[in-house]
Amino acid sequence: MDFKGMNEHVLKGNVEEVTRGTQEMLESGAEPLRIISEGLIPGMNVVGGLFKKGEMFVPEVMRSAKAMSAGIALVRPLIADSDIPTRGTVLMGTVRGDLHDIGKNLVSMMLESQGFTVIDLGVNITPEQFVAAAEKHRPQIIGMSALLTTTMLAMRETIKALQEVNLTDGIKVMIGGAPVTAAFAKEIGADGYAPDAGSAVELCEQFVA
Amino acid sequence: MKVNMASQTTVGLNLLSEDQIEEIHSATLQVLQTVGVDVYEEEALVLLKGSGADVEGNRVRIPVWMVQEALASAPKSVTLYNRQGEAACVLEKGRIYYGSGSDTPYTIDLETGKRRLATNEDVGNAAKLADALEHINFIMSLGLASDTPKESSDVYQYLAMVTNTTKPIVFTAHDKQGLLDIHEISALVAGGERELRRKPFLALYAEPSSPLMHSKEAVEKLLACAEKEIPVIYVPATMRGATGPVTPAGSLVVANAEQLSGLVVHQLKRRGAPFIYGGGTPPMDLRTFICSYGSPERDLGCTALVKIGQHYNLPTFTTAGCSDAHVFDQQAGMEAGFNLLIAGLAGGNLIHDAGYIGIGLISSMEMLVLCDETVNNVKYYLNGIEVNTETLAVDVIKAVGPGGNFIGEEHTLKHFRQNRINTHVLNRENLDNWELGGARTFGELANERAKELLAEHEVPSLPAEVLDRIEEIVRRKRGLEE
Repeated sequence: MDFKGMNEHVLKGNVEEVTRGTQEMLESGAEPLRIISEGLIPGMNVVGGLFKKGEMFVPEVMRSAKAMSAGIALVRPLIADSDIPTRGTVLMGTVRGDLHDIGKNLVSMMLESQGFTVIDLGVNITPEQFVAAAEKHRPQIIGMSALLTTTMLAMRETIKALQEVNLTDGIKVMIGGAPVTAAFAKEIGADGYAPDAGSAVELCEQFVA
Repeated sequence: MKVNMASQTTVGLNLLSEDQIEEIHSATLQVLQTVGVDVYEEEALVLLKGSGADVEGNRVRIPVWMVQEALASAPKSVTLYNRQGEAACVLEKGRIYYGSGSDTPYTIDLETGKRRLATNEDVGNAAKLADALEHINFIMSLGLASDTPKESSDVYQYLAMVTNTTKPIVFTAHDKQGLLDIHEISALVAGGERELRRKPFLALYAEPSSPLMHSKEAVEKLLACAEKEIPVIYVPATMRGATGPVTPAGSLVVANAEQLSGLVVHQLKRRGAPFIYGGGTPPMDLRTFICSYGSPERDLGCTALVKIGQHYNLPTFTTAGCSDAHVFDQQAGMEAGFNLLIAGLAGGNLIHDAGYIGIGLISSMEMLVLCDETVNNVKYYLNGIEVNTETLAVDVIKAVGPGGNFIGEEHTLKHFRQNRINTHVLNRENLDNWELGGARTFGELANERAKELLAEHEVPSLPAEVLDRIEEIVRRKRGLEE
């Protein structure tokens, strides 16, 4: 299988074929990093474009992302951690008091599919937990989600907690969720807000540009 | 397996019980036998008298057995083909097809947004737009061609349609001569009269005159259609409170008597010739005198006639996609949304008048676009819910469990396309993205879509030799006019 064939299989979300192709390439001595940058990522870029145009839908994007991940999983042990290509690390979590995670998960999956490294903290994450995780992982971006009008206020506290230990200097904070608006983001000192998962990817692209 | 369980049930409308329909039918037979109808056409009177009707001058009283014979010989299924000879509208119980409306003096100009007299170019453009729209299945002349000679505008309008669409055409004709000219043109398009007879891509729309009259012109056309086996829609618009009783049931009796007596004449001329039942009992507004196109009173009558037609096993023609609003506004959208759904639920076969505003006097291309989009919604809804092991998805629910999500499941991938609806004009953007996109209204987007489709869509042209021969017919007509 050549890179072009791999791209096609990523586009179609064919996990088996991407796995087989990656194995074949590794056996024939292809450079692991090139398998990622030329075999897997270009296919996923096509997927991103088609999604934006409304020709592909979320479940298909996820299938392609799964196929890409299957390839990356095989290559990963052969590459030093620091050499793994990433567009940036994003720390994600639903804020304290809120158990809703479908929106956050969608953003995480879309970000991963577009080459970001996502560390998903889960739901009901306290400001202290956000601060501790940020100190540990040193991400470029922190993403917070809330569905409830009552829990979105925890976003303000989380940003305050990050500010107190000066973490907001080097880290961009984005927020999202059904009740969240751009005005609210501005009011609580967030760096950005995205109304949907697709826009969240674009926002992160701007942050790391 | 489970016995006697449909795997899929579509959605429908229970408007009249079988018993109620029987009562309307009995009352109709009583009217036909005792009151009768007036027929102003000689051949029909001779046919009726010769076959056993009680004819006294123009008044014809029809015995029950004649009505029963006509109902028995009329075809249960009529198929309209497209210009390429493929079956396009199969008029059988439960199959719905939407089409544009007919013969409006005015149109709303797509460029200026102003109302003006319609021209033959408008008729062609409307046919082309309807041809491009997925959910418009048949075409009527969305405009009266004010720039053609009045005596033959029917033929010019037909030409504008047949050269701008391949979909089936429902047309009107001024008189028998107009009908014969259009038939001649259509035979050229179909590749011969026999081909046209076998695969008609057209149907005539004609009307009795309420209450209980058949004009000379209408019956001449009815007889000519029977002879040439051109499917004919012979349906009334009996105005409740004016040309029919104000009660829905009473106006249905009058409307039914008019078309059943028409059917008797038609089947006497040629048994088995294709006849389409339906029409409406719109209210005459007893304050403003208008004949409403957007009111639920009209919808009630139209859908009731569909139900009666289904009871008779006759193909039906009905009305939706129209409004009393004089501009393309909220009322237009609301009324069309309501009547398109109701008509779909009733299951009438040919549902015409998409694009009609201004109480049937104004055409609007934006309205046509709205109707197409609405029919898309209606059809999605009418499909109902498929219930079986695969769609119940218990295995998937087990696999995902509490707190998980279904977005990445194979089951979602397999089924999401057939379970989601694509929209062209309706907003599905969130507030931010909608504002980023220019915060455009439905009206602006519908206008843009109409213009885009008109610019992009191409209709295969008729062969040059056919066009030449059509041109000869037009020249002949012009010669007669001069």
